[in-house]
Amino acid sequence: MDAGLNLALWVLRLAFLALLWVALALMARALLSDVRAASRDPAASLGRLVVIASSGQPAPGTVFALDAVTTLGRDLGSSVVVDDPFASAQHAVLTFRSRGWYVEDLHSTNGTHVNGAQVAGVTALGYGDEIGIGDVRLRLERGRR
Amino acid sequence: MTPGRRPTARVPAVAVVLVLAFGILAAGSSYWQVIRADELVSSPTDAAVLVAARTVVRGKILDRDGRTLADSRRAKDGTPYRVYADPAVSHPVGYASALYGSAGLERAYTAELTGAGGSDPSSRLFAKFLPPADRGSDLQTALSLPLQRLAVRLLGDDRGAVVMLDPRSGEVLVLASTPVFDASGIGNPATAQERFEALREDEASPLLDRATLGRYVPGSVFKIVTAIAGLGSGSLSPATTFPEQPGAEEDGLVVSGFTIRDGHHAFTGDEELNLVAATEVSCNIWYALAGLDTGGANLDAFARRLGFGGPLPFDVPTAPSQLTNGGGPLPGGFLDEVELANAAYGQGEVLATPLQMALVAAAVANGGELMEPRLATALVDRQGRTTSVGPRSMGRILDASANAALVEAMTRAVEGDRGRLFTEGAKVPGVLTAGKSGTAEIGGAGEPHSWFIGFAPADAPTIAIAVIVERGGRGGERASPLAGRMLRAYFDAQP
Amino acid sequence: MTGLAAEGAAPVLPGFPRPRARPRELGLLVAVLAALAIGSLSLGLLRTGRLEPADPLGLVLYAAGLLVAHVVLVVSGRRLDEVLLPAAAFLGGIGLLVMERLPQDLVVQEIGPLTLGLGDLQLLWLGVALAVATAIAVALRSDRWLRPYKYTWAAGGLALLALTFVFGSEVNGSRLTLQVGPFSGQPSEFLKVILVVFFAAYLAENRVLLADARVRLVGPITVPPLTYLAPIVAMLALALGIVVVQRDLGAALLFYAVFLGLLFLATGRLTDVVLGLLLFAAGFALLALIFPHVQQRIAVWLDPWADPLGDGYQLIQALHAFARGGLVGTGLGAGLPEIGGRLPIPAVHTDFPLAAIGEELGMTGVVAVLAAYLVIVGRGLRIAAAARDDFRALLAAGLALVVGVQAVIIAGGNLKLIPLTGITLPFVSYGGSSLLANAIVVGTLMALSDRGAAPPALPRPPRLARLRGSPRGPS
Repeated sequence: MDAGLNLALWVLRLAFLALLWVALALMARALLSDVRAASRDPAASLGRLVVIASSGQPAPGTVFALDAVTTLGRDLGSSVVVDDPFASAQHAVLTFRSRGWYVEDLHSTNGTHVNGAQVAGVTALGYGDEIGIGDVRLRLERGRR
Repeated sequence: MTPGRRPTARVPAVAVVLVLAFGILAAGSSYWQVIRADELVSSPTDAAVLVAARTVVRGKILDRDGRTLADSRRAKDGTPYRVYADPAVSHPVGYASALYGSAGLERAYTAELTGAGGSDPSSRLFAKFLPPADRGSDLQTALSLPLQRLAVRLLGDDRGAVVMLDPRSGEVLVLASTPVFDASGIGNPATAQERFEALREDEASPLLDRATLGRYVPGSVFKIVTAIAGLGSGSLSPATTFPEQPGAEEDGLVVSGFTIRDGHHAFTGDEELNLVAATEVSCNIWYALAGLDTGGANLDAFARRLGFGGPLPFDVPTAPSQLTNGGGPLPGGFLDEVELANAAYGQGEVLATPLQMALVAAAVANGGELMEPRLATALVDRQGRTTSVGPRSMGRILDASANAALVEAMTRAVEGDRGRLFTEGAKVPGVLTAGKSGTAEIGGAGEPHSWFIGFAPADAPTIAIAVIVERGGRGGERASPLAGRMLRAYFDAQP
Repeated sequence: MTGLAAEGAAPVLPGFPRPRARPRELGLLVAVLAALAIGSLSLGLLRTGRLEPADPLGLVLYAAGLLVAHVVLVVSGRRLDEVLLPAAAFLGGIGLLVMERLPQDLVVQEIGPLTLGLGDLQLLWLGVALAVATAIAVALRSDRWLRPYKYTWAAGGLALLALTFVFGSEVNGSRLTLQVGPFSGQPSEFLKVILVVFFAAYLAENRVLLADARVRLVGPITVPPLTYLAPIVAMLALALGIVVVQRDLGAALLFYAVFLGLLFLATGRLTDVVLGLLLFAAGFALLALIFPHVQQRIAVWLDPWADPLGDGYQLIQALHAFARGGLVGTGLGAGLPEIGGRLPIPAVHTDFPLAAIGEELGMTGVVAVLAAYLVIVGRGLRIAAAARDDFRALLAAGLALVVGVQAVIIAGGNLKLIPLTGITLPFVSYGGSSLLANAIVVGTLMALSDRGAAPPALPRPPRLARLRGSPRGPS
């Protein structure tokens, strides 16, 4: 095998390995930027949900810290367990995106209310608004900084 | 009631465990691909080495003065095959054949000779970026072709072995074993099959390298090991005598109901022998008592330091030498005191290879420090770069003063008035020679083995030797004069 | 800030999702494809002496398949993870290059008029796997099919496994393969996904009870209440039993490890993990005592050089391959020296692809492959951490573990860190069932990563409010 061919082969082989690592580095960057975004303010929560009124569980005055996506319902797997006879297993989901809060009713039996009015689909929320699930009312408040 | 922390909170812990697991995998990869890589890649069983062995022209094997011992030629169809200088070197050099694999140095250095393994790590690192080699490195050895030829000639029709090495560096100049075979017959593809079959069937086992693989009863040459163990452990001193020894010469020494008889030194009469005298006249009784005093544990420990009990560090495979078959209740594995006493003068279950006994002589010759035996001394690659294989120590066996007593004892055994009766012919005229002969009884009918180990000049040794002639009769008959001739030839060749 | 809903009208999500660009995924796919193209060029140059890819059609088909999948994901409009597909494509591509580099006649199958060799078949299965993964990523929207029917799924999986045990074809002493027409598959591969679904669903449902209503065992050590532990343990025991009898020890280890991981995530109790590990040690010792082939595997692992031409041959050859590779390898196509026309490592395309990678791509390549698995596992765990309910969290974690632990087990066996087992290296080993099962894993993870519908556009405050100086301040 002549030296020129050998050289060309090795250039290609090393380039192959280098490119593999470039691709991996890009993937790693994606992973890290996500992790960084998630842990930006570990102490502060995005928002809080305060129980204003309820028929039992959760007790009035209970405060829940909110994540970017928070499920509400009677199911024990939910982020906020609402143990009310008029609440569905998966009742609603509260999400935070682009610096705004949104609540979405998940086809619950008795519907989800915002400030007294029943809402369907995705609804925008502000701090101070009250979410009604069954007989339980929860108020959205700012997170601790 | 909060139903406990959610699973999402524990995910980081699981992530850490997995990262650790992959870290261990990466470490495992580095172990095999970097740390153990050199060793595996140079192994004769590596697939790349095997392929190279079939296609690449092997490098030459040279003796210490540059004479070619093994070379490559091309057959009519272009495939390379090996030719060898002389059947005398067939055992250490070995053979390389497409059909029958390889043996000896040809096998041990397959990677280097075929250019697959490479010489040193740094050149190998960049070697892969160069076009693959079509010829391997040359192997420089310490062997001396003329001396090797002489050894084979002197052994003649007898079966036996001769080992000569430089005690200061461990370089092996002669590693001869008879009967020899013609490695060129195996190397040549035209004649390989019939030659190999014939050799395999020959009952004299010509393919067996007796120097490294032949295990023999050492007889009196083993007394040096007992002396080393005794002096090293402090159980014996050069002045040690045993009052019961002179009396036992006539009636024999009774050990646990077994009578040990001595040989042929009636002329010492009532003299209580010390270390030097006992060695000079090869007194079994003295050594049996010395061995019992030293004890099995010490004997075993010092023998191991000399290399007994396992394979020796050497270029080609070696068989382990032993003190006993083991399994006995006494320290060192001896069955009882009788076996220990017998072992102390080289009988019992003791078995030693000629190379091992040469190392014993070399240790004493080098002031008590044993050097690793070596055949290969350097590798010269295609570009002419040389990589030397340096000398390595196997450890200090005895301190200098204790060793000096042994040197004196072995010198008297060859030079002394009484000693030369047992080692006739071993002395080199004009050179102070030291040594020990041995007659190994192997039971049954037939002559005992004839042994000699020694070194010269005794005041500043440059060469050590071990000779065994199978069934060669009393030590003085065959081994001692053979050793003397070899040593003389060595000194004659020195500038 | 006043409530944005103060305006009264609540914006509603449009019926059909609009296509969303996935730039990060496209960029990563391009990087991966570029690397694979250069690799293919190096192989081609070695083979033919000319600068051309080794299998141009294969490369083009693979690239096309990935881009089509990318377009489908873009059109679907779902906000799914953008790193999983490129990472799987990375591994699949390396596997494809290895299969293309090996002698094509290791596996031959005739489908209609076509005769397909090793590389072609691997490409075919990769294509099918890609389609399956994309389909699941796009179509799986709710857990309606999974969570309520967990027992059905589990039973089905075990039935399939039992069927294989009875009717399967024996390969190397184990009955793992089921032949249907021209295709043969290994149901144990799919069982791992089914079991993860079952474990996740069951543990999510009973998590609280398992974690809090404990039964005291000895002193401060508590265990979950046995009545609630029973169904899941029974399922595990059944799966392990069938798998052990079929001598698929790698699968047994995988199921058990994933189960322990999910149990820990669900209950958070270290005692459970410790007890589980102790039980594993006991069970393993028992297996070693009963089954001679387990003892043989352990003996070969401890010292393969004791039987260099028999049992230890495969592992010794693999270790030599790693050694020959060194740091950067011998180059694609230049390693694996054939002796008498035979590869040095038997069954390299199924059992030891990592050794082939080790020899031809060196330690650099091996660590790259390991890193790619870590990326998949990392994304999977990230999806689990951000999941909105326990079932999804456990399911995502379980799927991530299934890929990661399987890779660890087989890589560990290849590198003589643990005894060798017969499971496949995900996405890299040859095998349609393996590729399909792992495609289901990746597809499901992508579906789980759905960040939900894009938020509707923020309602703009009316002009008057803006002119009066809204809290948003001058723009």
